[in-house]
Amino acid sequence: MFLTTAIFAESSYVLPYPSAMQGSKFYTISLIWDEIRKYWYFGDFGQFKYNLGESDKYLVEAKTLFEYKQYFLGLNALRKSKDYYNKSHPFLLKAHYKGKDTRKNLILFESASAKHIEILLKMKSEVPEEFTWEPEKSPPTKLYLHKEIENSINVRQKEG
Amino acid sequence: MKKILYISYFVFLCFVCFFSYLFVDRNLKFISLFFSGFSSSNRFSTSIIYTGIVIIFFLFYLLFIRFFSKNKLDGKDIKTLIVLTCVVLFFSYPAMLSYDIFNYILTAKVTFFYQENPYIVMPNEFVNDPFLAFTRATNKIALYGPVWLILSGFPHFLGFGNFVLTLFGFKLVALVFYLLFLLILKKISGNDKAVLLFGLNPLVILETLVGAHNDIVMIFLVLFAMYLAKAKKLFYMITFFVLSFLIKYSTIALLPIFIFIFIKIVRKEQLNWSKIYLVSLILMFLIFLLSPIREEMYPWYAIWFLPFVVLQYKNKIFKYLSISLCFGLLLRYIPFIYLGTYLEPTPTIRQIVTFVPTALFSLFYVIKKKI
Repeated sequence: MFLTTAIFAESSYVLPYPSAMQGSKFYTISLIWDEIRKYWYFGDFGQFKYNLGESDKYLVEAKTLFEYKQYFLGLNALRKSKDYYNKSHPFLLKAHYKGKDTRKNLILFESASAKHIEILLKMKSEVPEEFTWEPEKSPPTKLYLHKEIENSINVRQKEG
Repeated sequence: MKKILYISYFVFLCFVCFFSYLFVDRNLKFISLFFSGFSSSNRFSTSIIYTGIVIIFFLFYLLFIRFFSKNKLDGKDIKTLIVLTCVVLFFSYPAMLSYDIFNYILTAKVTFFYQENPYIVMPNEFVNDPFLAFTRATNKIALYGPVWLILSGFPHFLGFGNFVLTLFGFKLVALVFYLLFLLILKKISGNDKAVLLFGLNPLVILETLVGAHNDIVMIFLVLFAMYLAKAKKLFYMITFFVLSFLIKYSTIALLPIFIFIFIKIVRKEQLNWSKIYLVSLILMFLIFLLSPIREEMYPWYAIWFLPFVVLQYKNKIFKYLSISLCFGLLLRYIPFIYLGTYLEPTPTIRQIVTFVPTALFSLFYVIKKKI
């Protein structure tokens, strides 16, 4: 009993490789590019895919930053991932109300949610519960990492 | 004699039109009235009839060329034959040899009906769409350029949601561009022979007037760009060239030619159009030969280089080599019609039948020359 570890259902959903990170000179370019892509991904399914894709991207970014103990930047990426995730599902609902068959994309959404939860749980086990971030020119801030990750998991569990 | 030729050609075209309906897909509920299942349950007979059609079509074609050379047919006759071909084959079933027209229709539906980006969203994401039952390769995003996508909006909207109207709308687009192409070809070549060689070529007819492939649109735009270049209208030349490769991308191979034309016109230097057509022919033929890298050498890809062959209509070797190649390309359909599979031995037989007529013609030509 004591030797057993928690095993979570693994999703076959594939997350992207980490792209340009915050602090990189290419990061601003990637943000502009993302903004342009938003218009290319028109339509309900297009917007759903765009938002889910961005959510995936920022989740991977958060995971990578946490691995390098960049908790403040990682938390920003985690929040962005959650925001994009929240934006994606309404487009499926919108498509459904317009009479579009959303079954295939719902499966994709569920699979993505499962993968996100899988990553977030792993992330939670690897980061400290709290972290005090001490910037050079401003007062220290307490980062509640576990709480933020749990919040992200809850959102995925609720929607997915 | 001419009357007999007209009547027999008309009867033959009617038979081709009838034969095309033997290929109606079982899942195509919109025209289930025409479904017979003949082509799938009588594969041997269908293959024999199809081979016969191709042979007779080429015999007519060679006869037209011969009669024209002997002044037994004139420009007016060519026009009549083309109009006759258009009128009869407009009513043929387009998915006799390929299913591309269904992809055009479904891609237009994804864009204009579902209002999704077809370069991101695949048709098979609309699981309950009735068109999925008979459309092939629905797991692909749009393969064609944005100009084609915009153009496909016309038959889509003019179809008013009716499948049959939309289907024939797409056929009408191909027919209109076929006629526009012949018009420009006549203006550029100043000769009815070129119009005959292209307009009555069985491959062009089957792939454009029956199959409604969009290659004719792309090639019309590029030839129109050349026509505008001759008129020294540089801006319009560039515009139509860009429009052309935004239909199906392959005319991008002609970019060096258009850069060359542009420079020459700016410098006010003379252009040798025969050489331009020859280099265009070489470039488009190279792209045609390279097409298996992307997918396979589809017969309708011959439309990419044929215009530049007919613009060299005085060159007999080019003419007969291209005719034998077109014949071989149309034979490519036989293995699938007979075997009903794209798996081996279909691809191998396809490769063989494509080049055998051209090889035989070359051999015949060499022997004849030596004698």
